[in-house]
Amino acid sequence: MRLSMYLAGVGGQGLITFATVLGDAALRAGYKALIAETHGLSQRGGSVDVHVRIGDVDAPLIPRNGADVIVAFEILEALRAVNYANENTTFIVNRRLIRPPATKQRIPSIEELENMLRSSIKNVYFINAYEDAVKLGNVIYENMVMLGALYSIMNLSQYIPQDIIEEAIKMNIRRDVDRNIKAFMLGLRYGNTT
Amino acid sequence: MNNCIIKLMLGNHAIAHGVLEAGVAVAAGYPGTPSSEIMEYLIDYGKEFGVYAEWSSNEKVAFEVAYGAALAGSRAIVTMKHVGLNVAMDPLMSSAYTGVKGGFAIVTADDPNMWSSQNEQDNRWVGIHAYIPVFEPYDPQSAKDFTKNAIEFSEAHSHPVLLRSVTRVSHVRGPVTVCSPATPRYAEGYVKDPRRHALIPANARTLKNELLKRWSTIEKDVDQLPHNYIEGDRNLIITSGVAFTYALEAVKNYGVKASVLNVATPVPLPRKTILNAVSRADRVVVIEEGDPVVEQQLKALLYEEGIRVPILGKAENLFNRVGELTMNSVMDGLSKALDINNPLLSNHPIKVDYAPPPRPPVFCPGCPHTASFYELKISTAKAGVKPIFSGDIGCYSLGINNPFNEQDTLTDMGSSLGLGMGVYHGTRGKEVIVSIIGDSTFFHAGLPALVNAIYNKTPMLIMVLDNRVTAMTGGQPNPTNKIDIGEVAKSLGADYVSTVDPFEVKKAQEVISEALNVVRKGGVAVVVMKRGCALEATRLFRNYVTRYYVDENACKACGICYNLIACPALIPLESRKAWIDPYMCVGCSVCAQVCPYNAIKPEGDVKNWLSAWARM
Repeated sequence: MRLSMYLAGVGGQGLITFATVLGDAALRAGYKALIAETHGLSQRGGSVDVHVRIGDVDAPLIPRNGADVIVAFEILEALRAVNYANENTTFIVNRRLIRPPATKQRIPSIEELENMLRSSIKNVYFINAYEDAVKLGNVIYENMVMLGALYSIMNLSQYIPQDIIEEAIKMNIRRDVDRNIKAFMLGLRYGNTT
Repeated sequence: MNNCIIKLMLGNHAIAHGVLEAGVAVAAGYPGTPSSEIMEYLIDYGKEFGVYAEWSSNEKVAFEVAYGAALAGSRAIVTMKHVGLNVAMDPLMSSAYTGVKGGFAIVTADDPNMWSSQNEQDNRWVGIHAYIPVFEPYDPQSAKDFTKNAIEFSEAHSHPVLLRSVTRVSHVRGPVTVCSPATPRYAEGYVKDPRRHALIPANARTLKNELLKRWSTIEKDVDQLPHNYIEGDRNLIITSGVAFTYALEAVKNYGVKASVLNVATPVPLPRKTILNAVSRADRVVVIEEGDPVVEQQLKALLYEEGIRVPILGKAENLFNRVGELTMNSVMDGLSKALDINNPLLSNHPIKVDYAPPPRPPVFCPGCPHTASFYELKISTAKAGVKPIFSGDIGCYSLGINNPFNEQDTLTDMGSSLGLGMGVYHGTRGKEVIVSIIGDSTFFHAGLPALVNAIYNKTPMLIMVLDNRVTAMTGGQPNPTNKIDIGEVAKSLGADYVSTVDPFEVKKAQEVISEALNVVRKGGVAVVVMKRGCALEATRLFRNYVTRYYVDENACKACGICYNLIACPALIPLESRKAWIDPYMCVGCSVCAQVCPYNAIKPEGDVKNWLSAWARM
């Protein structure tokens, strides 16, 4: 088994925590996991990406056009991530637009961006992670909603039982464990409908 | 192997855990991406096992702290990023002459692709330059293992060793077998040995000969280390470091038929191991991240041995010298070298007819640097001066961007002062110099430069952005927490010294204006902009945080706040009025002070919050 999952978002959206929970859960379930991240100056509110690879893997980076799934925490970043996609790649996209600072350019609306993605990508799912997280009281739960969506849409339960994910959330996110698990649960429903 | 478990671990934490398992007693470092998490781990977890771990004021000092401990006989480690090693080069070169008594590993984390650096120098060259062997891990597990090997090898040969990591080892998480830390090995005492430890010329000449003798033993003994060899075809791929992982995937998943030899030590090369592998090969491909360090040594080695076999690598431009390796760049090179198809090219790309605008990193919401750059801009404009903004290494290098454009030069730690002085004298004093430097960078390399400015009477404004932490690398503590920068500048005899809070927008502008007057009269002025890093403040005083909102009726859509402050929490609406994202705003109050219409209002107890924040 080999799964390459490319995460794209904006610095501060919790991509590294997402990847750590997922990678730790995979390892607990008996799979090798590799996560490649960037720290330092590159993370201050700029575009960030994290490569998560699970199973029979050696190299830390996903090849171009080589991701099985792209999890975009922000919709413009989903468009930037297409370099990692091929025609079979599944896109899981947060319906959230974060305006890039210091640009005078007109940014298309979420609906327009959604249509662009739908017209060129076969398997694309849109997630209201921002709304779900705000309902739970804070936008910081967005990442666990996205994790739930990934888990159900990609059918990851065939490799990682759900209680192991919950355990990994407990072990890796020290604060507000209950609400983070709730956020994960909320995300699960996105796999049931298209 | 007592009590070992497998854990998902960051490469840098794996190095740090290797340090603990190796019984290292003294650890010192200076933060720098991608190395910082090694010392953070040792400071957090090493202390309970009796390890002495410190953040030093710069890499040279850190090096000497660890080196001195190793001279005494303690096991020691020093950590830094690749460019930090330049700062430590002076003691590094000497350490090969004196040798060490306790195992001593010098960890350099290189940053190919310059994710967070000013260059991508390959520090394996330093090993050749200094006669110091280099160990190069390829993943988190090998990072731990090689760290232990390196420290043991060092002690066995009474010689320092380098451990070269790169971003894609240091910042990769993977499974690591973690075992119990060993008891730290401190020295019993310091046995005086000036003939060896005091490098007066007479001693150094003798020691150079001894060094060469040790080096030839080291050249033989690196063959005993665990290098990886995977038997395959008569094509041989030789790798070092992270390149090994790409070569493994090339062989396993992409149809490349080859044997693979990964050398644990790119410097010096394990000669027997290599000759053995090459004797079974018709051609050799060398893959390594950075410069052709292995490739060039390999060519010399095979020439010496009279072996003529094609060696393909960076000399043929098969693999990139700029940036990091990727699966694609490795497969591109291998398919050309071995004349095979590249299966990665058969993936069908996806086309989307829209390219989103770039999203470069920006100052965080509430970052005090934003306020400082704004105030500096306004004050210099009011004074009618167009200064050279001599910048430095830190988060504030982002001041290069719109709307600030206040980083004209920026080359290395502390360069803001030195280059500024040079520009002043090189233009016969025509330019007004403003040097902008952070607190940690000030103590790192700014201090001797400030001494120079005062001693040589070079007029300049030195603006120290004192945000109380080494922010860019993750908020490490530094000497500013104990030593007042303003007091230091006063005692050195600066003509003007003032400390001001950049969140007091008007007052800060007045102080900068006063300082500029002093500079115009030929003085050295130091302004310390003192306000804690917003990321750290919101973490430390989470319960106090309040925020601001825009009163829609009062906002006149002038754009001053979002155009001149450019805080990411300030968002222009379609109406050109401002909106504050409540999940981003951290209540710094700066935009409210700048708004000419009092349209930006607090939501909670701002005074209380800002005074809690000021405790940093």
